[in-house]
Amino acid sequence: MKPTQENKSNDQYGSLRRMLLINMLVIPFVPFLLVVISGGYFFYTSIENNTIATMKRIVGDHRQFIEFFLDERKSDLTWVLNTYSVDQLSQSEQLQKIIRALHEKSVAFADLGFFDEAGIHLAYWGPYQLSGKIYSDAFWFKEVIKKGWYISDVFLGFRNEPHFIIAVSKNDGKKKWVLRATIDSHVFTDLVERVRIGKTGEAYILNKEGYFQTEQRSGGLLMTHDPEHEKNPDYHTGIETFIQKDQQGSEYLYATTWLKSNDWLLVVRQEKSDAFKSLHMATLFSLGISALSGMLIIPMAFYLAGRIIRRMEKMDAAQSLLEQQLIGASRLAELGEMAAGFAHEINNPLQIMKSEKALIDMVLTDLVKDNPLKDSDEIHTLFDSLSQIQLQINRCAKITQSILKFGRQGEPAPQQITLQQFIPEITAMVEKRAEVEGIRIKKEIHAKTPQIYADPSQLQQVLLNLYNNAIDAILEKKSPDGGQLSILVRPDKERNVEISVIDTGVGISPENLEKLFTPFFTTKPVGKGTGLGLAVCYGIVQSMGGKLTAISQQGIGTTFTLKLPTQISTKRE
Amino acid sequence: MDTMTLLVVDDEERFLITTQKLLEKKGYQVLTALSGSEAMVQLNNHIVHVVILDVKMPGKDGNIILKEIKHQFPLVEVIMLTGHATVESAIDGLKSGATDYLTKPIDMDELIQKAEEAFEKRKRVEEKIRKAESTRS
Repeated sequence: MKPTQENKSNDQYGSLRRMLLINMLVIPFVPFLLVVISGGYFFYTSIENNTIATMKRIVGDHRQFIEFFLDERKSDLTWVLNTYSVDQLSQSEQLQKIIRALHEKSVAFADLGFFDEAGIHLAYWGPYQLSGKIYSDAFWFKEVIKKGWYISDVFLGFRNEPHFIIAVSKNDGKKKWVLRATIDSHVFTDLVERVRIGKTGEAYILNKEGYFQTEQRSGGLLMTHDPEHEKNPDYHTGIETFIQKDQQGSEYLYATTWLKSNDWLLVVRQEKSDAFKSLHMATLFSLGISALSGMLIIPMAFYLAGRIIRRMEKMDAAQSLLEQQLIGASRLAELGEMAAGFAHEINNPLQIMKSEKALIDMVLTDLVKDNPLKDSDEIHTLFDSLSQIQLQINRCAKITQSILKFGRQGEPAPQQITLQQFIPEITAMVEKRAEVEGIRIKKEIHAKTPQIYADPSQLQQVLLNLYNNAIDAILEKKSPDGGQLSILVRPDKERNVEISVIDTGVGISPENLEKLFTPFFTTKPVGKGTGLGLAVCYGIVQSMGGKLTAISQQGIGTTFTLKLPTQISTKRE
Repeated sequence: MDTMTLLVVDDEERFLITTQKLLEKKGYQVLTALSGSEAMVQLNNHIVHVVILDVKMPGKDGNIILKEIKHQFPLVEVIMLTGHATVESAIDGLKSGATDYLTKPIDMDELIQKAEEAFEKRKRVEEKIRKAESTRS
């Protein structure tokens, strides 16, 4: 029965432990994950929006900057055309002087040329021999005559070098004059490229057809076609952002805007992983925190669940011990009741036996006296036998009386007892016996021992029982020095009084020590003890609200310790 | 008046027989009763000086019988016979007018001693009554 019960409770603890663990893991994890996920989501979108906004701002600023640069150059030329006379501009040396002056503002001007209405190159200053060439059919020339200004795409032209031109025209009433400057594509590229975002951020310009107008840092050469151009949006105002994969499969975040001055598309792009680097970091950080909290929560849950279960096991064990003790106590009480009933019933036959014996005794005495029976050895044997019957009946009576005493304690009459007086009085009762047996008695009563509240006759019964047991134990040892019985009385820290009865007797074996207070347990020879003395003492001390304990070492002696409360005990039957 | 008449009340018949024999041998007049009602019959028919009454008997409780006896025959001395467990009821008995009590199993000598004491007491009371009656008349 017991092992299955134990298994059952082990199973119970196991499932309880699992329940606890699941709760301790799931309950903190659910809100935690919710926080991480929702927080992560808001953080993510916020960073994304932020990154895109930054990109837009950069592209907007950069457009302004580039447009400003082109406008500047255009107004430089307009200024020159309006300031200098046709004669002056028709002299190459003069153009050289002008270009030097212009260089102070910007080194972008590579050369300068002056044309009449017919497209004849009147004057030129620059690294090439272009004077005298006729441009009347050139697209740019037609445009500038028509519109008053023109900025070209990048082209190779006569000089076989990528460049683009800015041209402005002037109408002096009679004729139209055109001033044209070449812009060094490299200088322009440097200008456009100046944008630096992250590691992979780059800016470049494409014309309407998708040809590079500035070099692309990640590889696109001037005047080559951008393979990604198809994906760029058509003409739009403002700034557009989008994410696009290139042919190698890497994703880019794009921001595009069209320049006002001509049909150029300014593209700023950055590899997505680079642009959203902080997002990546944030994700890693969240995961790290999740992992870390997991590492904290899981062992903590295991540890706590284990602790709780151990605590519960301990409490359950204590509870069941208490229950067992209660059962023991009630069994003891039942046993007492039963024994009392039994003893009472036994008393009646004993009474009859006693009467019968008395009658036999009397009749036999009369017979001997009146002489029908001769006083002989046989008669003496009969009388001896009769006295033996008397002895045995008395023995039985003693047992039944002890049982009745044990079974039904009389109502105690507690009162204040001054132990300094009481103990010597009780000890005096055994002093005679001790003296005869050669046993020394030592009394030590602490002067500050408080009064106790108990029934004096019950306390006397307990003490005498302990004294007699002690003397018996000392005698059993047959020590040559006689042995010693000590009585120590002192107050303890918890306002109790401690009475110790210490003997130098034979001692009690550990297995007997366990059964010491069990009714009917005795080690004394048959007829010497009923096995009820200590059980009765134990019951009395308990009813006083005290405690009776024993420690013993075989061959050295035994100490009985009686702890009694000084205050009025509430524990009374 | 010199010979004491005893009434022993107990539910154990054999105890009654033996005790009767023993006490008769000692020279007393002995009556017996197995129950309270029998005891009342005996008391009505004979002059009884001392009653030995068992406290624990089936039917009527010894203490109730004691009260009845003391009510109807106030001069009769009653000695209660008790097991140790019923010392309390013996005390109740003493309070209700019993002369003394004995704890089972009793010793015959003890029984005789207590009975004699009770008889002496009875005699003293009767003496006083007689004296009182003579002064009245």
